[in-house]
Amino acid sequence: MWYINQSGDNVFHGGNEDWQGAARAAVLCSSFRPDVEEERIADEPVSCYNCRYRRWTAASFTCSAPDRQPAG
Amino acid sequence: MRILISIDDTDNLESRGTGALASQMARELEENGWGKSSFITRHQLLVHPDIPYTSHNSAMCFAAEIDGSFLDGIIQYASAFLARESATGSDPGLCVAVADRLDSPGSLIAFGQKAKQSIVSMEEAYAQAEQLGVHLSEHGGTGQGVIGALAGAGLRLSGNDGRLKGGLAIEAVNGRAAVRDICSHADVDEVRSLSGLILPEEETVLLVGDKVKTVLMDGKSVLLVALAEGTADRFAWRTCSKQQLKNY
Repeated sequence: MWYINQSGDNVFHGGNEDWQGAARAAVLCSSFRPDVEEERIADEPVSCYNCRYRRWTAASFTCSAPDRQPAG
Repeated sequence: MRILISIDDTDNLESRGTGALASQMARELEENGWGKSSFITRHQLLVHPDIPYTSHNSAMCFAAEIDGSFLDGIIQYASAFLARESATGSDPGLCVAVADRLDSPGSLIAFGQKAKQSIVSMEEAYAQAEQLGVHLSEHGGTGQGVIGALAGAGLRLSGNDGRLKGGLAIEAVNGRAAVRDICSHADVDEVRSLSGLILPEEETVLLVGDKVKTVLMDGKSVLLVALAEGTADRFAWRTCSKQQLKNY
């Protein structure tokens, strides 16, 4: 579900339209924290796309959660 | 006098969002008796590895009708507000533009649109602001937020960009509301389908969720609707999902 890019960031493999995948990843993540209302774009409340720690990239996002280990 | 107040880069991962600051500013402008604030819009800017945003690179902007004599005071207030309320490690920027005084509104709009497509420098933002005669200032850190602040004002001015901050509560019966009732809300001007059809006032819409979200289109706050799947009756419309609105 994740890979490490050249900068050492955790990048989500599913891109920016894998709604089910992003929801699954967030449910499994102990670091999930909902972002502010205006930045939430997924209909599933618990989704990496709605997380305060997701940092958008052109094609996906990286996870900025502190002390987070990717779920795999 | 109609002004646009736009801010960017005021937050960090732990702080209040830039939208919350914009809301507070809009509220305090009214509480101080300086004028009447309009809704706040969120404008997506370019996502690029060379741009040091915290998580989403979006600017927040609201319009206000003020008495011109309050303009300088509002700029002073907004500047002090950002310097005080912006998060540690942020790079806040403030733009205050007098919409009626812009010699070249098209240039401000073009700047906003450029910031959605390409990397823009602080120098370019300041040069543009000076040329346009709009206030642009930085209030901490690198001041990188001036780029988004100016862009946010341009995109709001275009009338064709952004989602409104917050959800709107619309009274419904069995989850449905007539377009005329939806448009009676102060912050909804029109109900339109994704294909561009403007719904007549007698049409009804299924409201999905507790609140609805509108987008800025043609200078109006528009509730976008989509065809409800599997319906053959006249209740064929439903409000768009968050996913459907993500590119606005």
